[in-house]
Amino acid sequence: MRNSLLIIIGLAITTNTPTPLPLSYPSYFGNRIYIPADNPVTVEGVALGRRLFYETKLSANNRISCATCHRQEYAFTDGKPFSTGVDGTLTKRNSMTLANLVWVRNFFWDGRADGLEEQAATPLTDEHEMGQALCKSAEKLQAAKPYPALFKSAFGSSHITAEGIINAITQFERTLISCNSRYDQYLQEKYQPTPSELNGMTLFFANPNPEKQVRGAACGHCHGGPKTFNELFHNNGLDSMPGDAGREGITKQPTDKGRFRVVTLRNIALTAPYMHDGRFNTLEEVVDHYSDHVQSSRTLSIFLQDNSNTTHGKQLQLTAQEKKDLIAFLHMLTDSSFITDKRFSDPFKNK
Amino acid sequence: MIKNLIASALLVCIGYVASAQAYVQVTGEVSKTLKLYEADIAKMNKVSVSLTDKDGKDHSYTGVPVLDILNNAGVTTGKQLHGENLTKYVLVKCADGYQVLFALAEMDTALSKKTIILATRADDKPLPEGKGPFRLVVPGEGRPARSCFQVVEFIVKFAKD
Repeated sequence: MRNSLLIIIGLAITTNTPTPLPLSYPSYFGNRIYIPADNPVTVEGVALGRRLFYETKLSANNRISCATCHRQEYAFTDGKPFSTGVDGTLTKRNSMTLANLVWVRNFFWDGRADGLEEQAATPLTDEHEMGQALCKSAEKLQAAKPYPALFKSAFGSSHITAEGIINAITQFERTLISCNSRYDQYLQEKYQPTPSELNGMTLFFANPNPEKQVRGAACGHCHGGPKTFNELFHNNGLDSMPGDAGREGITKQPTDKGRFRVVTLRNIALTAPYMHDGRFNTLEEVVDHYSDHVQSSRTLSIFLQDNSNTTHGKQLQLTAQEKKDLIAFLHMLTDSSFITDKRFSDPFKNK
Repeated sequence: MIKNLIASALLVCIGYVASAQAYVQVTGEVSKTLKLYEADIAKMNKVSVSLTDKDGKDHSYTGVPVLDILNNAGVTTGKQLHGENLTKYVLVKCADGYQVLFALAEMDTALSKKTIILATRADDKPLPEGKGPFRLVVPGEGRPARSCFQVVEFIVKFAKD
């Protein structure tokens, strides 16, 4: 018996197996999550990934990290319409929030990356973003303490590879789960919303039906469910002639012109400016758009066409109070613990 | 040089037209992967079914039985739909990312009394932009939530749990 125990302990020491890290989230989020079999989330992988997320050595000029465009205080966006890369040029589209990525399959505004690993490699290597080949990043990290030891701990080898860098960062990103907003507390019967928040919530999920005197903002088709997004692409009527082809650039189908990925509304009050091009600075502008200024085009979402609170109306036409209520509900989606959680913060600042 | 430029421009134009055509695919547990364009669908036998749409009114939809499309791809239907094949499902994907699920048996009129079609016309008119060119029409359901728009793919798979 004693010998067996010694053998087991000996094996554990020599194999140096990373410790699985179960992700914790409420059951109403559902389990349709995406974790590749060859990149399970582990304690050691996440610790390394967190450090790499904030590591400026991964950029060509040693000044930009993932966190430069994905700042925790802004729910991992950067507060700008477009972000500046190592060569000084601006990105083509607005920096996206990194909350609740474990439920996402198609990444970027046009959904061109099929999985988080594919997504993560893009900004690291894009010449207008971090601009450094992964092999060069691996070389730089190999020469920098304590990375060889951290990679050995996470992946069993101190030889640093491009795959290891991507896998560690994505493991960390999968832990960025935001599930402690007042909306969550309401769903868990721990928070009583104000009358304004409750009316906003009702409007958010309701489809307008003037004949039955049902008022609605019809947000739920795309942003329905506790995660506040569905894996969809829609043209949300920003322009009658979309300047950015969006999803069409990937599928080459004209029906996809001006379609963009439906994003989560979790922490939406923290992630201004809004839309793929950051054209709206406030939630008021966003709600005004959906209420009164949806632009018609051949590819406008069928769910935004002729959807009105007035008979034969072309726009939603919410009242001023309804707009305020809707925004009150959107503020319920702010998770202040998510933006202060030490597990997600910059490890270089905590030293 | 100019000839080459013109030829290149023509190729680009042809490529654009070719890539711009809408199609629907059948993939997964098939004997042959299908990619059907509108012209291919137009040649197939059509039937009409009635659907109560979101407006609360009955509309007549015309299109190809999905069973015929699955048969063309060699999916296990009819007498082959028994045993483990009864654990197969069909995931229907739409251009906007919307997805709906059926048991394969729901698509087979040997087991199900309803005929699910891939419609190309509604009330004898082409489908409107935003819903066409291919709409799945599932008669007899309480809500038309699975009668989805702009269908791009049928994926046939085994349930493995």
